[in-house]
Amino acid sequence: MTPLVNSSRDEWSELLTKVGNVQDKEAFSQLFGHFAPLIKGFLMKGAPFGYEQAEELAQEAMIKVWRKAGSFDEKKSSASTWIYTIARNCRIDWFRREARIKKDLKAEDLYDLVDENPAHSSLIQKRNQTTVRENLQVLPVEQLEVITKIYYEGKTHSEVAEELALPLGTVKSRIRLALKKMNIQLESLDVRVES
Amino acid sequence: MTVQLRPEVQLHPEADLLLDYAAGSLSPALCVSVTAHLHFCDKCRAQDIALSEIGGDLLSSVGPEKMPENALEKVLLSLNSAEISDQAETIPIINEDMKKLPAFMSNIIAEPQFNFLTRSLKVAKIPIGENKYELALHKISAGGKTPKHDHRGLEVTVVLYGSFSDLDGTYNEGDFIIREPGDVHSPVATIDDECICLSVVEAPIRLVGPILRMINPFLSFSPV
Ligand SMILES: [Zn+2]
Repeated sequence: MTPLVNSSRDEWSELLTKVGNVQDKEAFSQLFGHFAPLIKGFLMKGAPFGYEQAEELAQEAMIKVWRKAGSFDEKKSSASTWIYTIARNCRIDWFRREARIKKDLKAEDLYDLVDENPAHSSLIQKRNQTTVRENLQVLPVEQLEVITKIYYEGKTHSEVAEELALPLGTVKSRIRLALKKMNIQLESLDVRVES
Repeated sequence: MTVQLRPEVQLHPEADLLLDYAAGSLSPALCVSVTAHLHFCDKCRAQDIALSEIGGDLLSSVGPEKMPENALEKVLLSLNSAEISDQAETIPIINEDMKKLPAFMSNIIAEPQFNFLTRSLKVAKIPIGENKYELALHKISAGGKTPKHDHRGLEVTVVLYGSFSDLDGTYNEGDFIIREPGDVHSPVATIDDECICLSVVEAPIRLVGPILRMINPFLSFSPV
């Protein structure tokens, strides 16, 4: 056993690493028991999914987890974040199927799950996840509402603005304030082209 | 240690666009443009990871919904029948243009078909299956000038190879350039090499047929 160097290393990430390294079915079963109900809950929370579709998608996502586990790197992200992106991509593909989009492109093609650019791997370190979670809880209600709607329902911030009958600028500034509060707004990102 | 040879990325997508990206709500063409930027930009990539963590946290803190009794069993069975790992075998890239672009672009298009718009400007449409935005590659030959043109809808340009400039400045690999309706400019590729850009153009609702719609962002409605 290697010593635990990273204090934020969690048991789910260890299980997922096992699945990736040695196709450990026992580890996968534990992950399934924990994450499949969460994915189902997440999908039912916002998007227009009944329980049957949510179950189907949760299973689809977990099968993807099994197949893609080899590309999980616990130094870069945690199991919950990584599984979230898998579930998100399954939801995108579901929307595309529903819209009868013929183009045979999958969400994972649009997102580049495995970035091959070597400059990144050395620079990107896993952040301390507890900080984000705690900060999510202290967000003012109106900021939390915007953020959660975007994630749960898979809507863009402008769609959310329309739905809440708020000016786009209000939604944008709520997002900015929320990200700032969660310490994930990088200052340089306020820059954009003024043309 | 890797040596950074290219200039640092100057122009980034706004935070709310990155948020939509991480939440999975961006339309496919815009999604690809952000992925292209992230390929070149460590800062935004770190931000994307943080934004995905919000997703991970929301996933972890949602009320779990019970799965059917036999769900795990069914899934385990399907794993047995599809034991092979999903690691896509890497197909060697043979297209000369694609060799210059970030590798993930070959998931989107294998053989771009470039057509001349003007003597120094070519376009290759990328079919992506959506109506709202059109995705394309634009190629300006070395030193090539493009006619002055205006913008009818939201446009995003990401430099994938080489660089170009206009009156506002020079744009290098990774730069994420947003143009609003009404902007007028006339890009010029740098002298020593051609420039390839990814462009996303909001499909105009009124006006013109499919051929003219392909023309933006580099061709004029009012040629010089
Ligand atoms: Zn950036």
